[in-house]
Amino acid sequence: MRLHPFTFSFLVFFLRIVFIVKSADTDRAEKFAVHRSLSHHAPAVAFESAHTNNWAVLVCASRYWFNYRHMANALGMYRTVKRLGIPDSNIILMLADDAACNSRNHFPGCVFANRGHALDLYGESIEVDYRGYEVTVENFLRLLTGRVEPSMPRSKRLLTDDRSNIFVYMTGHGGDEFLKFQDSEEISAFDIADAFEQMWQKKRYNEILFMIDTCQANTMFSKFYSPNILATGSSQIHENSYSYENDDDVGVSVIDSYTHFVLDYLEGINKTSTASMEDLFAKYDPVAIRSHPGVRSDLFHRPLEQTLITDFFGGVAHAEVMTARVTEGHTNAPSLLDSPFAEIDPINEGSGHEYELVEALPALADWTRDPLTITLRAWGSLSVMGALVAWVTLKSRWQRSS
Amino acid sequence: MVHAHAHEFAFAVVIRVLLAFSPLESFLQDDNQLSSSLTSYSRLLEGVYLFRQHGIDPYTGGTFRHSPLLLSLFSTVIPATRIPPKLLWTFFDAVSAWALVNIWRSRSNTRKHERDLRIAAIYLINPYIFLPCLALSTSTIETTLQLLVLLFASWGQSSPSLLALALLVHLSLPAILLLLPVLLLLLSDPLSHLASPRPFPQRLGKCILLFVEFAIFFVALLFASTLAAGGWSWMRNTWGAGILLPDLTPNPGLWWYFFTEIFDHFRPFFLAVFSLHLSVYVVPLCIKFQHDPLYAGFLLLGILGTFKPYPTLSDPGLFLSLISLFPETYRYLRYPMVTTLLHLHALLLLPLFHHLWIGTGTGNANFFYASTLVFGLANGGALLDCTWAGLRVAIGEEKDGWVVTQE
Repeated sequence: MRLHPFTFSFLVFFLRIVFIVKSADTDRAEKFAVHRSLSHHAPAVAFESAHTNNWAVLVCASRYWFNYRHMANALGMYRTVKRLGIPDSNIILMLADDAACNSRNHFPGCVFANRGHALDLYGESIEVDYRGYEVTVENFLRLLTGRVEPSMPRSKRLLTDDRSNIFVYMTGHGGDEFLKFQDSEEISAFDIADAFEQMWQKKRYNEILFMIDTCQANTMFSKFYSPNILATGSSQIHENSYSYENDDDVGVSVIDSYTHFVLDYLEGINKTSTASMEDLFAKYDPVAIRSHPGVRSDLFHRPLEQTLITDFFGGVAHAEVMTARVTEGHTNAPSLLDSPFAEIDPINEGSGHEYELVEALPALADWTRDPLTITLRAWGSLSVMGALVAWVTLKSRWQRSS
Repeated sequence: MVHAHAHEFAFAVVIRVLLAFSPLESFLQDDNQLSSSLTSYSRLLEGVYLFRQHGIDPYTGGTFRHSPLLLSLFSTVIPATRIPPKLLWTFFDAVSAWALVNIWRSRSNTRKHERDLRIAAIYLINPYIFLPCLALSTSTIETTLQLLVLLFASWGQSSPSLLALALLVHLSLPAILLLLPVLLLLLSDPLSHLASPRPFPQRLGKCILLFVEFAIFFVALLFASTLAAGGWSWMRNTWGAGILLPDLTPNPGLWWYFFTEIFDHFRPFFLAVFSLHLSVYVVPLCIKFQHDPLYAGFLLLGILGTFKPYPTLSDPGLFLSLISLFPETYRYLRYPMVTTLLHLHALLLLPLFHHLWIGTGTGNANFFYASTLVFGLANGGALLDCTWAGLRVAIGEEKDGWVVTQE
């Protein structure tokens, strides 16, 4: 006996809006096939990135007006990753000084990265998470490892999970295995390596792209030992990184050479781009950059030709297409779809994808929803009311006449 | 029954019909003051649509909170559209006005009285009554049923009265408060005994039979409701709404704001307190006014109007219109002017602050809440004054040198 007919009706209503793929192939394969909807590759499963969300940590570690270019570096990266789809909620921007509102800034509220001050990187729609003296080694390491004070607001936390790809960009003044923060302290390559290891142990990242633009930058990633880290830097040991150009009206150098180069390349990338990291690294020109950029990929398990730029720089959402076919029989699906009349069988999709809105249970006989029954019920209820009214009227008439 | 003043009455009804077809209606539909989530006509249409066209149980969602009896009525006999219901609602109001006049005639024991037309006008032109009618709020049906209950009880016809009460309780559970005064009224008479209090003349044992009759009607309608709804889930959505308060849409009542701000772990306690608060008035009022149960019923309708979980303007409006039945109390009202002005104040503030809050967004909920407090104060003041006046009538004229006070 059905105890709650309308609970079933409710569930049936939901089952009617399940998507079904018509497929000739009815063999069972893996349960979930991750399908990259935007890609032109037909990559095998192992080389696709398994990330579901993207984060970016952009650090400018030096202050003072003459380090304008470091802030422009970080802001250039900020605008690029935002353009490519990472939202502000997933970007941690750390600027050690305020170049835009500096009293020496001839263009108040603006930060430019090119001579000719054409494109303002600062003015609108910006969210700086760590500013000024909040940019410290301790805060940076706490941010990465997640060991922050309970009072730290959500916007200043790195809320990554084991499926997050993180783009970590650092710029400032550095040297052999160190980076200077705020002119008062340093972070060493060992510190960052240990922080990344903590993140790996805590499952706080899927893959990390570490990019650093300082003097002797490549030394900073020499000490990493955690898996799934791809690192690139602007210059080798004993080599300086140089700025690119000055702007005469701003009065200082506005961008660094390596970062300018990378940003220039990324200008040609959009969200649907299939350019790979290998393409970027192959484009490195030590003559143009005036230093020797380095790449470290031994910790990175995927081939660089198949690692997309947008895997790190963009926030491209992947659609996981779960194909389902409804059959009669016992279900092993989650509770909402739990019903003795239906089963959702995830199967591997074939080459043709047709999506149809199909009635899931055409054979289900639900007598309570039959239009005839509904009309009968309504009229039955009405007739009960009418009978009561009639009886009462007759009774009072009879009482009055007698 | 001589239909005196029939022409004037018909004229008033015609004016109401014309108002119903005015463009005023578009502003009033779904206004929070005129229809609550239990009485909104749009929700009724939604429920009927889901029920008729798709066979979906309208009680599975949170929108439809009308009784299944209305569901069956509007999916069969009455077309659930926009034009015929306007005439129907005006008809309901006309029936209510007729019932009010006849209650007055029973109470004053006359067949034609000079005040008849005034009473009908006080009802039909009362903005608290005709605005919800224009908004097609089902609270108009509840008002009609309330007046029919009192009418049949005044006429001494127990079965129609109890059937109407059973229907009313099905539409609006708090109306069960009226059961005791109606039973007492059926056993006594509607004539004014305020001036001469005496113990209740009949034996209360006779109530039992009447109560059994009411219970039979109630159960029969329960069966009809379950048949229409196809299950028992309707009870939680209709009656349960007044007890559990799932919907905190603003209305002119006093419950909604309180329950937006209390902590969840106090919710059951306060729900119990508020519901109990409604029921504690029944027995004391019936005992105190056992000599005039119609007056007790009138005061309980006032309690309902002030403290109901999902009131609309028609509940206190009915109370105000019913004051016209008791002219013997007018001279003993202590502060009628204050209450009138408070009501006027509230009548102006309620839509204004509601618009400021929800329409333009320049105000906030506290504005509207404050105006509901003023409204509650106005209603409470009217209640207290009428209670005082009803008791004061028994004492009579003040003698020289003596002053009537309350200890």
